[in-house]
Amino acid sequence: MTDLRVNLCGVELKNPVIPASGTFGFGREFDEIYDISLLGAVATKGLTLEPRLGNPVPRIAESRGVILNAVGLQNPGVEHFLEHDLAWLRSKTRVIANVAGRDMEDYAGICARLDGLVDFLELNISCPNVKCGGMALGVKPENVENVTRIAKAALKATPLIVKLSPNVENIAENARAAEAGGADCLSLVNTFTGMAIDIEKRRPVLANNTGGVSGAGIKPIAVRMVYEVAHAVRLPVVGMGGIVCAEDAIEFLMAGATAVQVGTQNFTDALACPKIIEGLDKWCASHGVARISELVGVAQMNG
Amino acid sequence: MRELTATVLENKQIAEEIYSLTFACEEPVKVRAGQFAMVGVDGFPLRRPIAVCKAEGERITLCYRLKGEGTRRLASRYSRGEKISVLLPLGNGFSVTEEQKRVAVVGGGVGIFPLIAAIREYAESKEIYAYMGFRGKEAICMQYEMQRGKELVIATDDGSVGYRGTAVQAFMEDIDRVKPHVVLACGPTPMLRALKSATAGRDLPVYVSLEERMGCGVGACLVCVCDLRGGGHARVCKDGPVFGIGEVEL
Repeated sequence: MTDLRVNLCGVELKNPVIPASGTFGFGREFDEIYDISLLGAVATKGLTLEPRLGNPVPRIAESRGVILNAVGLQNPGVEHFLEHDLAWLRSKTRVIANVAGRDMEDYAGICARLDGLVDFLELNISCPNVKCGGMALGVKPENVENVTRIAKAALKATPLIVKLSPNVENIAENARAAEAGGADCLSLVNTFTGMAIDIEKRRPVLANNTGGVSGAGIKPIAVRMVYEVAHAVRLPVVGMGGIVCAEDAIEFLMAGATAVQVGTQNFTDALACPKIIEGLDKWCASHGVARISELVGVAQMNG
Repeated sequence: MRELTATVLENKQIAEEIYSLTFACEEPVKVRAGQFAMVGVDGFPLRRPIAVCKAEGERITLCYRLKGEGTRRLASRYSRGEKISVLLPLGNGFSVTEEQKRVAVVGGGVGIFPLIAAIREYAESKEIYAYMGFRGKEAICMQYEMQRGKELVIATDDGSVGYRGTAVQAFMEDIDRVKPHVVLACGPTPMLRALKSATAGRDLPVYVSLEERMGCGVGACLVCVCDLRGGGHARVCKDGPVFGIGEVEL
């Protein structure tokens, strides 16, 4: 048995595998398929202070090796989550509350509301499907630094993860901006903005026209970005983008991620996360790796 | 619901652009009429939501239309003996109460297949009147399954077989004679809208099974929502796919 435990900002996870925000709800549905207490943590559906209805349908499309989504942050609101889901989810595993807002005040408000109640806050400053806030906040380094500082000021007990957008000029610069703003950890990548066109109808498949691209096809770009960010800051990094199997997860660890998130693959295979956890154990055992944390950042660049 | 690897027993064309896929699960699966499966297609990140047509112990049959690359791949890639990844049973399914003795089923397009499941489930205990619409003669399939009920009317757009017109029109011509206690319907949205306006004002429960592009299929991702009449959304995969016709905006 490999020691799969990892330490993220002083919080121990039983393994580094976390279902990504937006693909797993608050865990209840997947818990009908397998016991989600075997997961390292769960990143919740993106939460806002008020309930949100999200975008019109269709909200999802497929392209070779990837999907596009434009759900638009539909969620029942943070109070509903606190009342109905949090206690149950915390009894299962570590909870990463993914949060979003329309403006700086929203971010401060939701962070203050969740402070001390969850294991981590994950700041979604990069959701490409929300027109106000969202993307605008996550693109410019000065905005990234500002929103991080405001969120951090509202948090006394809970570590802050800033989730970075890949739709930027220089992701390492944005990572440094989040670090300067006081982030405790960074997660990346969120989805890439894309479009799929229905050629019979001569219009985009998604009602929102554009959506976030995720899935196996984005993995090499995500690995490169995780590598760049992990080497640009002193903060721990949670890597994601197209992870399908344990070997993919190991790539992210070697690029510098302490833990990983799995998103789209939960749709392809509901048992994706447990299979990846099992696969990590097997891979480590067959490669003489006693502790998975030994793999973090070990990839050596070619001359 | 269970994630499982099943073995394909048969995957064959049964009508114009319609395929029937039968697979064996490792153990019997209890499926209610109107429930569906998410079917994995090798090389495609999203699974295809397909209504269960027949569930016989561990043998499950789903019927699907060749609609795009994914369903074409499903038709060409999976033959007898192949392993296929499926998640099932999903969704709420139809429910008919004890008192509802006369059941009308109204279907069109691939919507006829979950209704075949309903006919199979209730054929013994209820009087079933089926109204099934097809484009034309070449599209008709599984007639022996549709005939399990008390009466069957086949409607074709071109009149090549049976009633000339839509399934809804055929049903409305019979409604006062048959006096159904409940209606179960599945088909294209325009068909469901026509049914809604045709039955408006009658004291008759009508249940419709909806179709939407899905992500997870289990209620977690909030991709496949429909609008509720009183405002807000419901998840087609988890809260549905069957809704009271008055509950949802069509």
